[in-house]
Amino acid sequence: MKVLGTSALTSTLVLLSILPQTLAVKAGDFRTCSQSGFCRRGRALASRAKEGIASWRSPYSVDPSTLSLSPEQSSFAAAVTSSLYPDVKFSLEVRLHEDGVARVRMDEVDGLKKRYDEAARWALVAEPQVSQDIKWTIGKTDARVAYGKGFELLVEFAPLRVVLRKGGKEQVVVNGRGLLHMEHFRQKAEEPAPVEPSEEGSDEQTVLKVENVRAWFEGESEDAYWEESFSGWTDSKPKGPESLSLDIDFPNHAHVYGIPQHATSLSLPTTTGEDPFFNDPYRLYNADVFEYVASATTSLYGSIPLMHAHSADSTVGVFHVVGSETWIDVAHSSAKSTETQWISESGILDLFILPGPTPADVFAQYARLTGTAPLPAHWALGYHQCRWNYVSTDDVRGVQKRFDEEDMPVDVFWLDIEYSEGHKYFMWDKKSFPDPVDMMNDVAAVGRKMVVIVDPHIKRSDDYPVYKLAQELDVLVKQKGGETDYDGWCWPGSSVWVDFFNPKSWAFWSSLFNPKQGSQWSWTDSTEDVYIWNDMNEPSVFNGPEITMPKDNVHYGGWEHRDIHNINGMILPNVTARGLVERGEIAKRPFVLTRSFFAGSQRYGAMWTGDNLGTWEHMAVGLKMTLANSIAGMPFTGSDVGGFFGNPEPEMLVRWYHVGAFAPFFRAHAHLDTKRREPYLLDEPYKGIVRDILRLRYSMLPIWYTAFRETSVTGLPIIRPHYVVFPNDPNGFALDDQYFIGSSGLLVKPVTRPDVTEETVYLPENQVYYDYFTNQAYRGAAKGKNIVVPAALHQIPLLIRGGSILPTRERPRRASSLMKNDPFTLRVALDNKSRARGELYLDDGVTFSHKDGQIVWREFVAEKEKKGKTVRLSSRDLAGANTATAVESVALATYDPQNSFARSIGGVRVEKIVVVGLISKPSSVSVEGGSQLQWEYVAGVAAGEKKEGVASVLTIKDPRVDVASDWAIVIKA
Amino acid sequence: MLPWLHVLSLSLSLAVPANTASTLLGVNPKLLARYAPDAAQKWTCLDRSKQIPWTAVNDDYCDCPDGSDEPGSSACSTGVFWCANDGHIGASIHSSRVNDGLCEYECCDGSDEASGACPNICKEVGEAYRNKVEAERKLRKTGSKIRSTYVAYAQKEKKRLEGVISAAEKDISEKEKEVARLKDIADRTEAISAEELERKKSSPLYITLLSQSTALKSLRREHEAAVARSKALEDILDSLRSNYNPNYQDMAVLEAVRSYEYQANLPHIGSAEAEANEEGSDEEDEEAKEDTKSSEIPEGEWSAEELEHQLDTLVHTDYVSLLVEHEKHIGADTDDPVYDITAYLPDSLIPQYEVLRTFLSTWLPKLGIIKAVVPGGGAADANKAREAYNAAERNLDQTKKDLDTAKEDLSDLFDVKGFGPQGEWKKLEGTCLSKDTGEYTYEVCLFDEARQKANHGGSTFSLGQVSNYFVFLKFSSWNTSPDATPGSPEYYSRQVYTQGTKCWNGPHRSVTVYLSCGTENTLNTIVELEKCEYQFIGTTPALCLPLDEAESKPRDEL
Repeated sequence: MKVLGTSALTSTLVLLSILPQTLAVKAGDFRTCSQSGFCRRGRALASRAKEGIASWRSPYSVDPSTLSLSPEQSSFAAAVTSSLYPDVKFSLEVRLHEDGVARVRMDEVDGLKKRYDEAARWALVAEPQVSQDIKWTIGKTDARVAYGKGFELLVEFAPLRVVLRKGGKEQVVVNGRGLLHMEHFRQKAEEPAPVEPSEEGSDEQTVLKVENVRAWFEGESEDAYWEESFSGWTDSKPKGPESLSLDIDFPNHAHVYGIPQHATSLSLPTTTGEDPFFNDPYRLYNADVFEYVASATTSLYGSIPLMHAHSADSTVGVFHVVGSETWIDVAHSSAKSTETQWISESGILDLFILPGPTPADVFAQYARLTGTAPLPAHWALGYHQCRWNYVSTDDVRGVQKRFDEEDMPVDVFWLDIEYSEGHKYFMWDKKSFPDPVDMMNDVAAVGRKMVVIVDPHIKRSDDYPVYKLAQELDVLVKQKGGETDYDGWCWPGSSVWVDFFNPKSWAFWSSLFNPKQGSQWSWTDSTEDVYIWNDMNEPSVFNGPEITMPKDNVHYGGWEHRDIHNINGMILPNVTARGLVERGEIAKRPFVLTRSFFAGSQRYGAMWTGDNLGTWEHMAVGLKMTLANSIAGMPFTGSDVGGFFGNPEPEMLVRWYHVGAFAPFFRAHAHLDTKRREPYLLDEPYKGIVRDILRLRYSMLPIWYTAFRETSVTGLPIIRPHYVVFPNDPNGFALDDQYFIGSSGLLVKPVTRPDVTEETVYLPENQVYYDYFTNQAYRGAAKGKNIVVPAALHQIPLLIRGGSILPTRERPRRASSLMKNDPFTLRVALDNKSRARGELYLDDGVTFSHKDGQIVWREFVAEKEKKGKTVRLSSRDLAGANTATAVESVALATYDPQNSFARSIGGVRVEKIVVVGLISKPSSVSVEGGSQLQWEYVAGVAAGEKKEGVASVLTIKDPRVDVASDWAIVIKA
Repeated sequence: MLPWLHVLSLSLSLAVPANTASTLLGVNPKLLARYAPDAAQKWTCLDRSKQIPWTAVNDDYCDCPDGSDEPGSSACSTGVFWCANDGHIGASIHSSRVNDGLCEYECCDGSDEASGACPNICKEVGEAYRNKVEAERKLRKTGSKIRSTYVAYAQKEKKRLEGVISAAEKDISEKEKEVARLKDIADRTEAISAEELERKKSSPLYITLLSQSTALKSLRREHEAAVARSKALEDILDSLRSNYNPNYQDMAVLEAVRSYEYQANLPHIGSAEAEANEEGSDEEDEEAKEDTKSSEIPEGEWSAEELEHQLDTLVHTDYVSLLVEHEKHIGADTDDPVYDITAYLPDSLIPQYEVLRTFLSTWLPKLGIIKAVVPGGGAADANKAREAYNAAERNLDQTKKDLDTAKEDLSDLFDVKGFGPQGEWKKLEGTCLSKDTGEYTYEVCLFDEARQKANHGGSTFSLGQVSNYFVFLKFSSWNTSPDATPGSPEYYSRQVYTQGTKCWNGPHRSVTVYLSCGTENTLNTIVELEKCEYQFIGTTPALCLPLDEAESKPRDEL
């Protein structure tokens, strides 16, 4: 693959560094750090700093004489100079937001060119409000500000160093190791730069210049400053070097999470330092990686430059809003600390420091910056059936028929690229899809939806209205030089790409989705029941460098593709979603699935982990990847059930349905070359097991929807790893194969290995947990405890945390929309003090009327009377008392419990209540102020006992209480 | 199948049947007797697992583990709901369809939803159903008439085969005698000439000829192997070019395709020019290629076609005969007419003649009466005798084979796994059905092979053939589903063709032909649900069973 190094040591290192990649099918398609000039420079800087640690001093310092405070005194600006280049000017601005988030911005001023400074404009939901209360104290050598619960932010002037402290303890240290380096724009020297070094690295550059006073910092050679080649592609680099290196250390945090998307564990393994797990830094450069490796730092389809650092004391976050290719090294110099280095190819320094101190705080702080995932359409939480490809309108009808014959619920049928004529999206291949609207109506007749793919590459064909319109509007991405439309090769062959950075493209694109004829050509062969899948938006270009666009392509405003690459994928789903909202008389919630994403993409729809493989390794890592996306603000996430490539054996497929059924986004998908594997094609017992899994998912939709409401308001993820729920329990910090669903109290550990009959589950607290299916009571311990639960093929380890009340709908239906009038079952899992609580959120699931207060948001509480053993279960309204936090992005002015949505489900009752863990058989069960109820009691262990065994179960038959009303049921001992 | 109406305003109070009037809602008439309370107003679940109050039956709460207490609601996930559908035919539906807000087509009486929510449309549905049944009946009637001609054809075929068999049997016994006689002659002739022939064979000319022949054969073998390999490689590249999956985004594949296109002088597939030019430029290219080929052949040498033809003749040359011919040619004037006499003698006299000839040819030269002739004459004679014997034996074998084939055909004719119990499929053997789908024409020749032909130039691919390499496997191609027993109509409703041309990065192409009763042998639909696995859907009169047969089978429901 590459030339091996000269010494034995080097060759070993090289071998090690290529090891993870050699497993990839086409490792050579994508760069390693050593094949990327700026990454090489960044790492070389770090190694020089390490070698010269005693005398190393960052050349950057704040000029205090230039410092100016903003009127409200929560921000200041100052000039920064570099001792290397005294004539080059930099500016620094540090702002404190109302919620304690600090924003550090640094840019080159009056340089030869301008650094890209618009990344935040795309990522942030709104311009953050600076604090009116927090005020800086400016000293001679530093500026400092104390705020909140023991926080202090310190900006040292010489050298420039930014430190967040809490209770005196360092939380985040920026430029503590002096790796900050903003390469200024420079003129290319007349003399040719030294010969480009081998791709192996730059450490051992021969000294060509006699005297280079900056060599201690910048290195001796101009390594890949002006041109760079990879795999036959040459990047012309018209702006020369402009990379940005930054060290961000967490001296008191041993775990870091986030910076998706990488196929690795949630707690990020090291990439540098002593004996690193990986040898290459984590790369953020959105890429269509064919058959990606299940454990690697290789970049994948999306990038979110957000990192959590966590310890038992605190959680902090750093969010570096940069849109260019970025590499992140992670090391632990001690068991309790983490050091990171962020190396970006271009763009300004725009760093948000999220002080926490709890995970919930970090989620709220990040949500205030980039927004939350809005409440999706309710049907989007159902099961999605996809394949590349359902080949005709009759094929789609046939698949629907088979699902119905087998009584398997499904909400959405998907069409991949082959529906389109010549891969001209929107244009039906009328030979196979002669009656698309009728097909959509046939699917919609059973309350279902369709999702159809629309990719961003546009076939160069004069008979394609989308191409003609885009060309006339002149909104296409340009090749280097900025004059000619960029031509690349993708599914349709020769293609162009809409430059969504150009505002002129937005209305054009959104209008395409109008099913009614308007002034512009639009997709009249569609209905309001069709939603959209945006794939290939990294962008994927088959004949481009690293399967994407050349970096010297030119976008709107003259920015190079290198500046905006990672942001590129997010605008397409944004304007697509806008089109879906605007297309009807009544605005309905959009649904757009995207493969590429950036910070803020959560505002526009769901994502999935791309083209995974049908292997156990991919099943397992897919789950970790969805957790990583979830904690990085992208909660509506899942991976393809079954694996995109390959033909999973029935056992694997069944396990994969379990994984999918417990992911926020639940879709089965398969590659063109695979055998059909719709669940009805399975033999027994697999078919029956999958039917049960699908029905389980549907029965739990109220739980999922309630969790989606919470995430839409708070930013807390839907699926939550242990460190989020139990931030003080170090045993759980690296756990990423079991997780909680919302605040429901459900703890799940999908099986991702073959031949399993039982599974170990970690219980993090001294609390009872019940098996969801058998009511077996397991006892946790204050120091944490592993238990073993049955996990044969038809079983999934699914536990209810004692103290939870779960609302479910147990009647199987063909689609989720047909469940809206079905009664509820409440499962009351008592904790060891015989208490429990739970929530239920409902709205019409379709329109935006929830923002007008057309909602039902209930709390169910079970309490034991202070004296005696009587348990009282009650239902009360939550919306009225929490109008500010009921729904996303708006505070309800008032809440009317008799709103029209609540009235529309007025007759929906609770048909069954199951109370698990009562101490003894009740003497009576009655509605408070009403009649006696019928019930059955099966004796078993009580919630508060120490014994294990099947818990006692009280089943109350049809209490005839309405789900949207206040009521109480008294269970007398 | 599809619900045909959304219930717009579902009154929920109606969704909860609370009184005994609706206790029997959704109960299948066959089970009606079991839905009655006992003396204590109790009721036992149908699986006898539990006893519940009679009031708990159809109270919209699932009490019984088998779901039998809720035939009229959606409360039990395993339940079944019976729609009486007066005016039409009763039907059972999953309880998941009950009270879900949709009016089920199967429940045309509307009983699956709250009273009043769905209109009773059984009159229309019933009428449409009856019309459909009538139309099917008519089709079947017409089709079965055609089918009866197929059956008659099979009978005729049967008679013909029986005739062939008896004639062949007679023929064989005569031919066997003839073979025995010729063998005798050949053996004796050879005894005389073998020695002389051996001597001739040591001539340098013959030895050189033999080694040249060996060289020719070896060269031809190598050439054929090379051609086959090159063709196979070209096929792979051709298939790669037209089928490669750009999703692999594999630059090595792209490179291979482009190099091939350059080599083969083809436009780049998927490129705009390629699509525009695909049709027009092909012919010109072909012509151009032809020109260059013919102009390059040196004077006196054979063209590829001539070579093909001549080579075949050359390789099959019998050098022993040639050796003999050669002798004859050299000593043409000394040729003794005696040696040709057998040609003019009647068969019955030949044995006597042979004896005489042996005597003469041995003794006459010795006595000096005639000049000692070239012993090659003897060799030529022996050779002719051997040839005559071989020809007769081959002829006999052929007749035996014909007999075996005829016998087998006769047994296949009415084999349930062959042409059906009445031989009704025999008529369709080799009948080709095709369907033009625009880009391709798909064709299946029944009991033979299925093909995909590109309409705008490009390769024709075999999609699969009946596995008839071994004769006894010829009919393994009917419906392979275990539910379809040989002899049943389902069994003949599918034919499977496998082992077609292998797909690039995929399986061997295969086809399942789905057939149903129709007045014509025709294909209506071609689908490729999985890569390289095709479904042909069509009709044939062979499946139109006579009405009495079809209607004697009881129909349970829709």
